Amino acid sequence: MMSSDLIAETSSGEASGPLAELADRFRGICRSAVDPLEVASALEFDGVSDRAARVEYDVPDVFALARQLYAQVPRDPAPAAPEPDPWRARPLSHGLLYAIPAVCFPAAGTLLVGPHVLRVLVIALLSGWGLSQGLAAVGYQRLGMSGPGPARRVLRAGLASCLVVVAIIMLAALVTLHTRLPVIAFGAGEAVYMLGACVLLVIGAERWLPAALAPGVTAATVFLIMGKPHSLEHQTFVGLAATPVLAIVLAVVCTIGAGPREGRLVNASELAGAVPAIALGVIAAGLLSFPGVAGVTGHGGGNVGSLVASVPLALSMGVAEWSLLWYRRGTRHALTLTDDSRWFHRRANLLLLGALTQYVFGALMLVGAALGVALLSRQVRLDSTLLLSVTGYLLLGAAMFLVMLLATMRVRLVPLAVAAAALAVEIVLRHHGLSVQIALPTLLLAVVLMYAFRRLGSAVLHA
Amino acid sequence: MRVALTAEGTYPHQFGGVSVWCDQLVRALPRYEFTVVALVATGTEPVQWELPPQVSQLVTVPLWGPPSAAGRKPRGRGVPLVVRDLVDVLADEDIDGRFGIVLRDLYEYARTRNLSATLASEATARLLADTWRERWPLIATRRGASPALTRPTLHDAVTAMRLVEHALRPLSHPAVEVDVAHAVTNGLGVLPALAAKWRYQVPVIVTEHGVYMREQYLHLRNPPFGWPVKDLYLRFLAQICAVGYREAEVITPGNVYNKRWEEELGADGDRVRTVYNGVNPEDFPPLTDEPEVPTISWVGRIDPIKDLETLLRAFALVMAELPQARLRIFGAPPRGREAYMERCKALAADLKIDGNATFEGRIPKIRDAYAAGHVVALCSISEGFPYSLIEAMTCGRPCVATDVGGVSEALPPEAGIVVPPRAPEEMAAACLKLLRDPELRARLGTTARKRALEHFTVDRAVSAFDEIYNLIGTGWRLMSAEEAQLPADGDELPADGDQPVEDTLTTGHSGSS
Repeated sequence: MMSSDLIAETSSGEASGPLAELADRFRGICRSAVDPLEVASALEFDGVSDRAARVEYDVPDVFALARQLYAQVPRDPAPAAPEPDPWRARPLSHGLLYAIPAVCFPAAGTLLVGPHVLRVLVIALLSGWGLSQGLAAVGYQRLGMSGPGPARRVLRAGLASCLVVVAIIMLAALVTLHTRLPVIAFGAGEAVYMLGACVLLVIGAERWLPAALAPGVTAATVFLIMGKPHSLEHQTFVGLAATPVLAIVLAVVCTIGAGPREGRLVNASELAGAVPAIALGVIAAGLLSFPGVAGVTGHGGGNVGSLVASVPLALSMGVAEWSLLWYRRGTRHALTLTDDSRWFHRRANLLLLGALTQYVFGALMLVGAALGVALLSRQVRLDSTLLLSVTGYLLLGAAMFLVMLLATMRVRLVPLAVAAAALAVEIVLRHHGLSVQIALPTLLLAVVLMYAFRRLGSAVLHA
Repeated sequence: MRVALTAEGTYPHQFGGVSVWCDQLVRALPRYEFTVVALVATGTEPVQWELPPQVSQLVTVPLWGPPSAAGRKPRGRGVPLVVRDLVDVLADEDIDGRFGIVLRDLYEYARTRNLSATLASEATARLLADTWRERWPLIATRRGASPALTRPTLHDAVTAMRLVEHALRPLSHPAVEVDVAHAVTNGLGVLPALAAKWRYQVPVIVTEHGVYMREQYLHLRNPPFGWPVKDLYLRFLAQICAVGYREAEVITPGNVYNKRWEEELGADGDRVRTVYNGVNPEDFPPLTDEPEVPTISWVGRIDPIKDLETLLRAFALVMAELPQARLRIFGAPPRGREAYMERCKALAADLKIDGNATFEGRIPKIRDAYAAGHVVALCSISEGFPYSLIEAMTCGRPCVATDVGGVSEALPPEAGIVVPPRAPEEMAAACLKLLRDPELRARLGTTARKRALEHFTVDRAVSAFDEIYNLIGTGWRLMSAEEAQLPADGDELPADGDQPVEDTLTTGHSGSS
């Protein structure tokens, strides 16, 4: 029997016979096969052997059978199964997690007295932010490469190491600055909370963060509402101290079940990858705390505008995350629409502008609302200094949004260098006061935006 | 003599058949100095096997994670000529066999430049997108596809180059300086061996237990990327395999069945010498006793490829004839694939055999699993050369196995019964025949053990490689069957075991040392 005899035509004109039946059974495979060998592998996997090819289909072997099927069925590949969207939107309320801790500062007012309070708080902010950025970088990298178990393991070990580093830094601050112990404890608590929160965010357990925040925020809110009564100070401080402790406990509990340790805990390239993240965290913390430290005159003495804008700007991190994810989804989708890299570059730039506009609009709304509340409650007086300092802080927020966006796409060195240069220039020219605090963020925003336009048009960053 | 053993995703970081084989080989050859080159996923994997002293060095080559920063990175928007050549051959058929030259050029490039950075660059992705745009109508038509409906996107170009970049990372690692490079797989695992050959002019051996490309075709049947990427990547891997076969002094598949695939993929049949897997007979002494009730035993990983459903259906037919019969299933599902076992248990319940068919989990001493049955069954729909079969044969247990992979090479009619895959009636008939006939069981079991001791022992496999290392490592080459005027390898393995396969290793001096 010749193999062609195996395909007989029925009265309706349709092919029939063993080969036609086989072609029908393997139609899906043949449609998306890249060559006959792929069909042969599928045939063998389904139990069709050389013997079966000879006996049932009258062809020498499976390969000959596969060639026949491949020739018979035209290619019509099914589209690839949609990948899980790595850029799914997070709720805007995420920003609350960043902003709520701010309420603890005014409540801790009576604790924060003595020499070098501001210095200690800035040191704590820089170390907490820098280390948590580094920890997040290692955690996310491990999560992507090896999955949640190994990520939890490396985060737990990283958390322990970072806590030791924070302890050393704060101890050094205590010894060198001769600050009061409560100030050191508050600063350490601030850094420790950031590290615990960072672990929970990386492993997707941020739902536990409100539990960690609850004692500190509740105690602080009640204390402030009741007009900071002296009798409640002790309980309030206990509540404030409970928040970082709980954050660490929850971070440790949520990283249990990582399984036995396998292989090296962390390798050199992962540690090397954390260095720019740490630097970026330190510089971002430096830039954002600079207006408050330098004051509008550049000689200290406070910056009401930056204080008013700092809480809404922390809240705007929710908007920033949302805009960033919107941008990543948009560029990824754009990549699948074209084969023209120039078209993609233009589309990516438009999406970047869209994301920046969304963020600025969201931050503007939040800052405007905060300013309105502060004005209505007569906490501040509307004048050009206030407006200029708020504007400067908003520009800085927009620039840092772009730096963050670039960093999430592993474009770190240039934004890092530009931000570091901006911070250095701000420090050197601090005596120029508010004018530097407006000019530098404006320049930083312009430079980072131009760089982002040029760099983020690259398709390889978005796949 | 120094031997590089190159492996991908197996020894010494994972358990499994290939790792067992590697461990047996290096332990049995203490007079060689081994360097194990292991291609791994991220480099954080733990070493699972204790390496014997003859393994002087373990080199791990991560395929994923951040790329190496070594070597000069590309500057400007240009694409080096060698990468242009690569894109040129990737975007179409390798009609003139240029891929081997391009691969070697890439290796030379990677010695001083950062190949990963070049391949992952925007310029390279653009080049592929532009090349595809120009040639896709022709490529798609040649494949029998509609150019318009399958047109590659920029996302496809970036994804394809990313896969190629990861795959070629082994070329960026310094070549190991040895006397023989032995790749225990083709595909990416052969790249370190090729690098050693190109750098130090050492001979290469390629051993395949499964067939690398066959596994890749199955693995990428429903890939998480578009069809143009699948098309390009599978062709790229097939081209690497073809170079591996071409550059190998000798190709040593684990069974004759694999040879068919290797020749289809471009291997020269004259260089193929089958070396069967083997077991240590001391671990599997003959079984003298049988269970009290008629029992079929099965051992393995509980996985869809093992087609336990057919065995359960066959056993239901056996039970209809022998109601007291038992089926004992030893083994566990791989992590994350437990659903299949639940499906099998549900099927057993549906067939009303769940009282007699039992899932008994992993067993500490695998020989006990063979001892548990009068008959050992293997019902896989796909296999290479299964250890469980040759272990059962070494124990002298009669086997019923499906005609897949190298099973029929191991189990001629004198030593067991081979049935078609997915055929419960045939499997049931074979099992019943054996369960009812003690004399037949004894005869087949005795022949199976004799055959296993003759052909499928570790000593035979190891001595075959000892001989190959010695010969090609000292400048000799293996003569083709024609030159040696011997029957070509690939002829049926003699059922009586008169002519061991490795006796066909015939040599001639290459004239160079």
